[in-house]
Amino acid sequence: MSGFQEFLAARDIWRDPLIASLVAGALCGFLGVYVVLRRTVFVSAALTQLATLGIIAALIFEESLGVEVEHAGVQLAVALAFSVAGALALGMALHGRRLPGEAGVGITYVLAGAFVVLGANRLVHAAHDLNAMVFGNAVAVPRADLVALAVVALLCAVVHGLFAKELVFVSFDAETAGALGFDTKLWNGLLFLTLGFAVPVAARALGALPVFAFLTIPAAAALLLVRRLRSAFVLATVIGLVAAAGGYLVSWFWQIPTGATMVALAGLFVVPGALLRRR
Amino acid sequence: MTSLVTLEEAAVGYGHEPLLRGLSLSVPPDDFLAIVGPNGGGKTTLLRTLLGVLPVMGGRRLQPAQLRIGYVPQREHVDAYWPLTVTEVAIMGRYRLVSPGRRPGPRDREAVAAALARVGIADLGPRAFRTLSGGQRQRTLVARALAAEPELLALDEPTSGMDPAAELDTMDVLRALHREGQLAVLMVSHRLEAVANYASRLAFIDKDKHLFRVGSLEAMLSPGALGELYGRPVTVREENGRRFVYPEPGVTA
Repeated sequence: MSGFQEFLAARDIWRDPLIASLVAGALCGFLGVYVVLRRTVFVSAALTQLATLGIIAALIFEESLGVEVEHAGVQLAVALAFSVAGALALGMALHGRRLPGEAGVGITYVLAGAFVVLGANRLVHAAHDLNAMVFGNAVAVPRADLVALAVVALLCAVVHGLFAKELVFVSFDAETAGALGFDTKLWNGLLFLTLGFAVPVAARALGALPVFAFLTIPAAAALLLVRRLRSAFVLATVIGLVAAAGGYLVSWFWQIPTGATMVALAGLFVVPGALLRRR
Repeated sequence: MTSLVTLEEAAVGYGHEPLLRGLSLSVPPDDFLAIVGPNGGGKTTLLRTLLGVLPVMGGRRLQPAQLRIGYVPQREHVDAYWPLTVTEVAIMGRYRLVSPGRRPGPRDREAVAAALARVGIADLGPRAFRTLSGGQRQRTLVARALAAEPELLALDEPTSGMDPAAELDTMDVLRALHREGQLAVLMVSHRLEAVANYASRLAFIDKDKHLFRVGSLEAMLSPGALGELYGRPVTVREENGRRFVYPEPGVTA
């Protein structure tokens, strides 16, 4: 049996992880346009750390109570809570007057990272999963995670489809939007809320590091290549989708780490734009 | 005449401590009011308070319920990374008139085309905003403000960083809009000379001197008022029909 035939025969194994990778890659690629243009790249890094911390917190809680470890639904719910709370807090911190917004983002990132390490140190049974959580290993995605990812992606599509003009306006020029009567805190909050929901569900499918990469690289690649914002959203979504799916397939056939392969493949899409340097 | 915006004994600022208290100011519909003062003196805070972006920290702010405002921020505050065309930037001025969940229609696009034509950049609509010169970007932002069909056009340092020719060009556009457009103009500038030939009223503000004073152009260009603002004797001379501001050298009031 050829490698491709073996691959097809194993579709029950790769179907859900591949679908999850496609959805997560496209979702992160789309949202990444806001992340890059608003210069909040490290917000997504902090959110992925917070989501990982949420999973660690859920694991510690489960272990300390002696309940079943690796209950995906509980872990995801706690990760969502951490990420959404972090997204809303960081969204507000970026407009603080006493400290530059980056300071709050950096503090959140390093503290969340430190607590992830400290928390992981306390885990007995689930520590082996941490590498997959952080660096990505989309080999097995539980059906519940896939459903959660699909629901969040649909929610984000509805919000961004309906309120595109408001979200673009407050992101591009919040000062004028505020002067014209837009509630900039509300619209910024809504944007960060979608990020706060998207990051943990995508991180469950791809891993934290790939999510950070997918919130940055596809958008950067698209913005280097196109001249229109609408085209940038479309192209970043497509690049996210192709890099996630392609990375998954390459990692399958070559038996190499999935998350890192996805990130490396996404990185290749930056090359054409960097070479062309179109304005 | 009903005012578009009024502050009554207002305290302005942000955080916990007002920058200035007891400010009273009205902007009637035909006003061309320039707020002048040093950098960091509270001009932008006053402007934002007048527009309702910052709440008053004391006193009252009054405006008609449906006041249409056009706003031009400092050019440097508008991010040039965004891949937007001139038309896409200008149409944002219409967004307040379009309900959430709906997209701008033909009427909005007509208003944007008219606004671009009014500021002399009708042909730049498809151009990328980030490829424009500073003066063209400023005109785009003014067009965006005009696309809102405003009763009050507010501008924050619209000529900041411009060369003298571009500054005169921008101010001429504003004067023409004020005269032809039947709208009030409210602008902030740290350069008195930039507005002394255009505004009908001036407001001087400097939080460090606890100074707030508003009056007609003639009254505010008096040596007494100028000395209060600048802390040294300042004279205004007219040459070829234009006013020039001259601080007296080596003398501090």
